Amino acid sequence: MPSQLRKRLLPYLIVSPYLIHVVLFVLFPVVFSIVLTFHKWNIISPMEFVGVDNYLHLFQDRLFWKSILNTLQFLLVHIPLQIGIALLLAYFLNEKLALRAFFRASFFLPVVISGVVVTILWQQLYGLETGILNRLLISFGLGRVDWLSNPKIAIVSIAIMATWKNVGLYVILFLVGLQTVPRSYYEAAEVEGATAWQQFRYITLPAINPTIFMVVILSTVGGFSLFIEPYIMTDGGPLNSTLSAMLYIYKQAFGYYHMGYSATLGIFFAILIMGVVALQKMFLEKEE
Amino acid sequence: MNWSLAGINKPSLPTILRSQLIPVLVLIVLFAGACQKDVSRQGSNNVLYWSSNNGGEIKFAKWAVENWNKSHPDQPVHFQPIPEGQSSEEIILAAVVAKTTPDIYSNIWQGLVEFYGRSGILVPLDTLNGFTEFLQQRCDSLTIAEITSSDGHIYQVPWKINPFMTIYNERILKEMGLDSFPSSYSSYLAAAEKFKKDTNGDGYVDQWFGNTSVKLAWYQRLFNFYPLYLAASGGMPIIKDNRANFNNEHAVGVFRFLQELYQKNYFSKQAESAAQDLFIAEKYATKWTGPWEIEYLEKFKREGFSYNFHPMPVPDGHTGPIYTYCDPKSMVIFNTCKNPQLAFEFIKSMMSEAGDLEFLNTTNQLPRRKNMAELPGFQAFFDKNPKMQAFAEQAAHVRGADNCEYLIEVFDIISQEYEACVLYGTKTPEDAIADAEAAVNVLLRANEK
Repeated sequence: MPSQLRKRLLPYLIVSPYLIHVVLFVLFPVVFSIVLTFHKWNIISPMEFVGVDNYLHLFQDRLFWKSILNTLQFLLVHIPLQIGIALLLAYFLNEKLALRAFFRASFFLPVVISGVVVTILWQQLYGLETGILNRLLISFGLGRVDWLSNPKIAIVSIAIMATWKNVGLYVILFLVGLQTVPRSYYEAAEVEGATAWQQFRYITLPAINPTIFMVVILSTVGGFSLFIEPYIMTDGGPLNSTLSAMLYIYKQAFGYYHMGYSATLGIFFAILIMGVVALQKMFLEKEE
Repeated sequence: MNWSLAGINKPSLPTILRSQLIPVLVLIVLFAGACQKDVSRQGSNNVLYWSSNNGGEIKFAKWAVENWNKSHPDQPVHFQPIPEGQSSEEIILAAVVAKTTPDIYSNIWQGLVEFYGRSGILVPLDTLNGFTEFLQQRCDSLTIAEITSSDGHIYQVPWKINPFMTIYNERILKEMGLDSFPSSYSSYLAAAEKFKKDTNGDGYVDQWFGNTSVKLAWYQRLFNFYPLYLAASGGMPIIKDNRANFNNEHAVGVFRFLQELYQKNYFSKQAESAAQDLFIAEKYATKWTGPWEIEYLEKFKREGFSYNFHPMPVPDGHTGPIYTYCDPKSMVIFNTCKNPQLAFEFIKSMMSEAGDLEFLNTTNQLPRRKNMAELPGFQAFFDKNPKMQAFAEQAAHVRGADNCEYLIEVFDIISQEYEACVLYGTKTPEDAIADAEAAVNVLLRANEK
């Protein structure tokens, strides 16, 4: 092989694993999904062209819109809770504490545990009659809570569990952010007589602003993909109050084999997430 | 990287190919080879059979295959349990798409066969020699009607059933002064009222007359609503002539009965606990279950725990046999099979009287054949396993699943209304059933071919 040709081929050969990956696992599924949105297909029968029927159905599908609303409700509880707790924990874990490394590792542990395992564990904790949480409440003379069987509470219960599962990751991110704030700022503030709250409000928060926004974006994207928790714990109930958009799309695809319609929902949902993240990004850039 | 600066000779392209790409290509080829269907097996004189991956069924399948291969060395059957996956349906779908389906698969849920049959991936068995005679010998006319597809063909051989019945704690019922099982709705509710109790005085009931799944998943309705509906209606189908057939007094009565069980706290609303079996702990007096419960209870029950089975509760004044859902599983032949007649002959050998008896002995599951309890070999089994006798008697009055391509969605709709009416009381039984009927008919009309 002429050396000139070899020189030209080599870079392509080196990047080919990545290109193959992108074509097989990104481009092909996306293009195929877009094609599917115009078809009716149950996997084993031939595809049937249905034009824009799937899109028309989407706009009339009350259950899909309910699932979007449920997901947004989940995000409304989950994101502030996650950021608040993660920031608080990170703040304390950034101080000189005994067993600091142990606590940092402990808070991170749920992140590396399988979501299914965590969900099954919390399902037992939330048990209406024999769950530990309700037994504790009763032993303190309080009434028990229908954690997963009250349509008004179930999504909040799931948000609490998801926060417990994911907060460790955000604690680490905030810790990184906190450690980049120069010590001299606090020393100057102390000399000026600033209280601890004022230091936190006027030094820490502005300094870790980019981290906060990164956490918001990661939480939003993660929250939109809410699936395992309702799938295992509630199957979308009670009264569809925990039916997340991802769970609904999954049910359409692998429960009823409506591949065309689920692809339509998936594409629409992806656009929605991109829109939300774009808005957040614009806000972030404005802040910076 | 600057290779010469690092003191290393720049590797040539052929060297890279040899050291990096060739091993990768070899691996890919090996992997592709491993994924490929065993071509040496393909041919018209042999058959590939997939069983479920349940231990008992694997043992039976090995027995059946060994017997066949001994007497048919030139037409061997190759056997393997279905590959592991989240569900057998997923595996079958993947195999269909990859065109790697076996010739025979046992353990397919009867309710799914219509979906596969109408998609054209199953062999219409009624086109095979001797199938109709075999089926008529094995099954009664009701079963045959139930498994006949809407296109007039038959795509499945009914194989086994696990009928749903009420299991009850004999000691508890005796202590309550009940000489027999409270089989009507009113007597069941009265017994439930008597048994309900707050044993630890914390203000909450912790002893219930029964429990059944409160989960929304469509298949959970096969284990509570559906057997109760069949019991009340004398085995009426829920789909008839491609329309909902359940907006009637029976379904409304079942919803009302179940609603009362929850409203009055006679049934626990907690999802089944993985930590403790509350039936064994005697916190529940009854539940609805199948014959698999016997083996489980014999293994885990406490000393002195005694139980028995009774058909599903029925409305007051019910006359005639009490039907139930039987969780039927069938055998099918996929259209990738090169010799469907040979595959059918093997199925026939598995479902011979000796085959069915071996299956019963090995798995404690009932074969779906008529007059089973009257056959001498079977009677000996039931004499030795008296708890199974109730299921054998129930087997004469069972229904499977209706032949509807959209049965999963139908049960999903019913499940939504069940949750709203039975568990949360936000709808009356009449409204819930009427809404379910309307939604099912919209679904069926929209998918009419």
